Amino acid sequence: MTGFLLRRIGLAVFVILAVTVLVAYSVRLSGDPTAMLLTGSGNITQADIDRIRAALGVDRPFVAQYLDFLGGVLHGDLGLTFFGKTSVNALIAQALPATLLLAFLSLGLSLLISIPLGIHAAVHRGSWSDQTVRLLSLVGLSFPNFWLAMMFVLIFAITLHWLPTSGFFGASSLVMPAATLGLILCAINVRLVRGAMLETLSTQYILVARSKGLAERLVLYKHALRNCLIPILTYVGLQFGDLIGGVVIVEKVFNWPGMGSLAFDAISARDYPVIQGVVLVLATLIVLVNLAVDIAYGLVDPRVRLR
Amino acid sequence: MSLALPVRGRRRSAGIRNFELIAGGILTTAMVALALVAPTLFPNVNKMDLRARLLPPFTDLAHWLGTDPLGHDVFARIATGGRISLVVGVVSVLGAVSVGTLAGLVAGYYRGIADTILMRIADIQLALPFMLMAITFIAILGPGLPILITLMIVAQWVQYARLVRGITLTLRDREFVQAARAIGVAAPVIIWKHVLPNAAGPIIVLMTLNVANNILLESSLTFVGLGVDPTVPSWGGMLADGRTYVQTAWWVTVFPGLAIMFTVLGLNLLGDWLRDRLDPTSSR
Amino acid sequence: MALALGGALLAPGLAQAAGTLTVALASDAESWDPIDTFILDWGRVGSNIYDGLIQRTPDLKLQPGLALSWEMLDDNTRIRFKLRPNVTFHDGEPFNADAVKYSFDRLLGEEGGKGPQQANYTAIKSVEVIDDMTVDFHLGSPDPVLLTKLAGYGAMIVPPKYVEEHGEEYFNAHPCGTGPFKFVEYTPKVSLTLEANPDYWDGAPKVDKLVYRFIAEAATQVAELQSGGIDIATLVPISLLDTIKADSNLTVESITGPNAVALRFNTKDGITKDPKVRKALIEAVDREAIIEQILQGNGKPIASFQSSLSFGNDPDLKPIPYDPDAAQAALTEAGVAPGSKVELDFVGSDATFREVAQTVAAFLQGIGLDPQLKSYETNVLFKDVIPNGKTGDLFQMTWGGWTFDYDNTAYLLYHSGQYWNPYDKDQTLDDMLEKQRNTYDQDARQTILRQIADYVADQAIEMPLYNLNTIYAMNKRVHDLPPTPDIRFRFNGVTLD
Repeated sequence: MTGFLLRRIGLAVFVILAVTVLVAYSVRLSGDPTAMLLTGSGNITQADIDRIRAALGVDRPFVAQYLDFLGGVLHGDLGLTFFGKTSVNALIAQALPATLLLAFLSLGLSLLISIPLGIHAAVHRGSWSDQTVRLLSLVGLSFPNFWLAMMFVLIFAITLHWLPTSGFFGASSLVMPAATLGLILCAINVRLVRGAMLETLSTQYILVARSKGLAERLVLYKHALRNCLIPILTYVGLQFGDLIGGVVIVEKVFNWPGMGSLAFDAISARDYPVIQGVVLVLATLIVLVNLAVDIAYGLVDPRVRLR
Repeated sequence: MSLALPVRGRRRSAGIRNFELIAGGILTTAMVALALVAPTLFPNVNKMDLRARLLPPFTDLAHWLGTDPLGHDVFARIATGGRISLVVGVVSVLGAVSVGTLAGLVAGYYRGIADTILMRIADIQLALPFMLMAITFIAILGPGLPILITLMIVAQWVQYARLVRGITLTLRDREFVQAARAIGVAAPVIIWKHVLPNAAGPIIVLMTLNVANNILLESSLTFVGLGVDPTVPSWGGMLADGRTYVQTAWWVTVFPGLAIMFTVLGLNLLGDWLRDRLDPTSSR
Repeated sequence: MALALGGALLAPGLAQAAGTLTVALASDAESWDPIDTFILDWGRVGSNIYDGLIQRTPDLKLQPGLALSWEMLDDNTRIRFKLRPNVTFHDGEPFNADAVKYSFDRLLGEEGGKGPQQANYTAIKSVEVIDDMTVDFHLGSPDPVLLTKLAGYGAMIVPPKYVEEHGEEYFNAHPCGTGPFKFVEYTPKVSLTLEANPDYWDGAPKVDKLVYRFIAEAATQVAELQSGGIDIATLVPISLLDTIKADSNLTVESITGPNAVALRFNTKDGITKDPKVRKALIEAVDREAIIEQILQGNGKPIASFQSSLSFGNDPDLKPIPYDPDAAQAALTEAGVAPGSKVELDFVGSDATFREVAQTVAAFLQGIGLDPQLKSYETNVLFKDVIPNGKTGDLFQMTWGGWTFDYDNTAYLLYHSGQYWNPYDKDQTLDDMLEKQRNTYDQDARQTILRQIADYVADQAIEMPLYNLNTIYAMNKRVHDLPPTPDIRFRFNGVTLD
């Protein structure tokens, strides 16, 4: 077990390093931050640009810049932003909770709906309600999330004035972004739960449990559900990764101050310290979640042995 | 992206299967056909008529789905834009499946160092948020169809590689493969005759779902200005351009939105049907 | 849903207390130090926190700010400022000649060298304190636009003790000046809150609180405006005007602004090397139609690359008229084969210009050319493609000379060796440009600037498209905000219902 953990942790560090090198290097290929200074029709000469580049330290070789970053990371310091000289730690400390809150809420919402619905559909396989659930979930998979987000804003914010349009100002701000992401995840997860449940229901030990005369509810929710948690966990882990790094577009529509928006703006401005910090945190989180999923396998299903 | 799920359902009743095949088939065929005939039907899709800007739908026979802010015919642009969606969807998936299958076969069959390298790359891929990667590389190379497709291949080949590697790993120790190896059959022949046919079903299912997924992805990236050139008619581009008109000229966004939905729905229905037919895990 | 509704009522962004004005800005300048940025959104905030020695009114006249008066001395090499007495910074320290010297030493010294604003003020050699309320600026080189620039961002006066005590990084995020509003709170990427400065020398503001929210998407800004989350939207594309006009609570301001839009030519290579071809391309594009149809009338035709508000604009210079037949004939005469490719480069994220680019392409197609549209990200176009001369035959440029002086456009775009001038080397132009920079005689300058515009039009160095209106939208509860062409609002006179 210790050996397994050490190996996994070593691997995790390697993966995180590789991801940050890749992003830090490629973002420098795409241009440097001084272009942002040119946007206000400024009276700028090449000499000004060189002077500012030197002040920012981006005229040095990549390796020196990256080692600087790594040195900071070892001290828990992600550096200062190029433009405001604010601490990147502080920016991430502000954006990460917003992103995590949205991710957990939308995942929670989707599981809350999809687990009972999926089980119901599996138990009543082929019934009228099963077909409806399946068709609806397919429809749910078939439109872009930003389109749903736009429609929500149009209905609930502009027309009905029920919910705030954008930003993050208390609980009501969470409703539309979480519903947008949650509904689409729900369409995915209901299929997942249904499929896993069907598989499980046909296994020997459920038959045994049933034949022992256990209450149907107990059989379903204690024995069967526990068994199909493995595939569900795997995908929920993947979805979590997508949710923390991949909801840029929904964040933009709702002006949600999360990691996706932070990264998007930082890339347009070529604010390297912010980009590096965001990638480091996101990659670490994703790797940790995958590790946790691996370990959870063992807990949920003793048959899975940790190598 | 996690939309492509190998859901292990069981064979469904014939009625449902037929519905999926028929509805999915009709939707997909209609969209493909429309995209194919679009250049013949609408050779002047970029023809503008500023006097006919923002005509509502169903008022003018020449523009039955209305016109956009530049006086382009919305229907002509949907038909032509479908070509972009289909090209992106199909080419990216073909690319990813070729790279992924090859890598998966090599890793699974030969194991060892090839396998280790593959799995490490897969780990890195998994920890790299796709949107972040997409934004960065599009910033470097500029937007456009080739870069978009390449990004999707880079992001998705791992799915196929893992799938094929898994299947290969289980097959390579099975008796019939061991027997073939013992009598000196060359590895490529074994892979071609014994391994690939067994992997084909799940691969095709994953492909169908990824075509659907990538059409959505293309529209999302184009929507934030990271996809195809904004002046080329594409569904994502139409949604992006129409976004600011959504309250005054709904047809500019609603019709391309529906086009995306029906196409993706059609492909998903076909994917579901194919899974029932081809995925060995669902017919066990 | 009950919880959600309760939350909505409490949300600060949605239900405003009486006297709070909320303004949406497209970008967060990130540093509120005056010397760090050119970003226009900085000025929209900074002008309410800080004052300069000189102020520019919304109708672009210079008036006394922290200086009561000024005079040019010693053959225009020295400017003497008499300062406004009894002014204090928000932290309580007094405004005086030392503060002025400190601010400019900082701007022109090492700290200013880390930012872009220094480049605007290099004409100032040193600042000398004469007495507590008098300072002299010694000039090292002539700059006829300097007084206007002193109303700009970089020349804002900062509190010496505050900056020294708290340090530069703290100052970036906790600005302090002499302006009508005082800093309260800043949440990066989200919002900045200011409150009224009751002791403001020009009278206390009439609103209690001023909140800026950073919203990058135009559609989101307008949605917020419609739902009451903000009072003023500063990012309003033409495509959203009908939406706003349909809402009886909202009003749109569309006024002549500083931004001119042109398609510049690659004058060095390809078919656009020939001035006759360039002129033909201009004739081929119906710019009036673009203004009427695409801009919906929210712009004006231009004959040179400047706004009609710009100093140096010649109302008698007329745009080359639309004449596709003449254009086609000229192309044939110049030996340009039908179906020749013409590449047009532009910034892809600009929704309005996307429509304009497609329209221009259609007009060029109309005279038998094969236009290719190529969109770039802002960063790539400005940092690489243009300065390194890698553009196509035509490339988009939007220029908003904040000084409203044609010098700022003409010198940077036409003088040889300039960052923005990858193709041209023209001695005639260089001479004229330098001549107007070396005189303080504004009448003489105006004459030369008009000659420059004539010359550029004659050589057809660019295709002037239009002067884009400045557009912003407000809730009707906002009163007494004068039309502001550069959206650098000062909110001290504004009242709310």
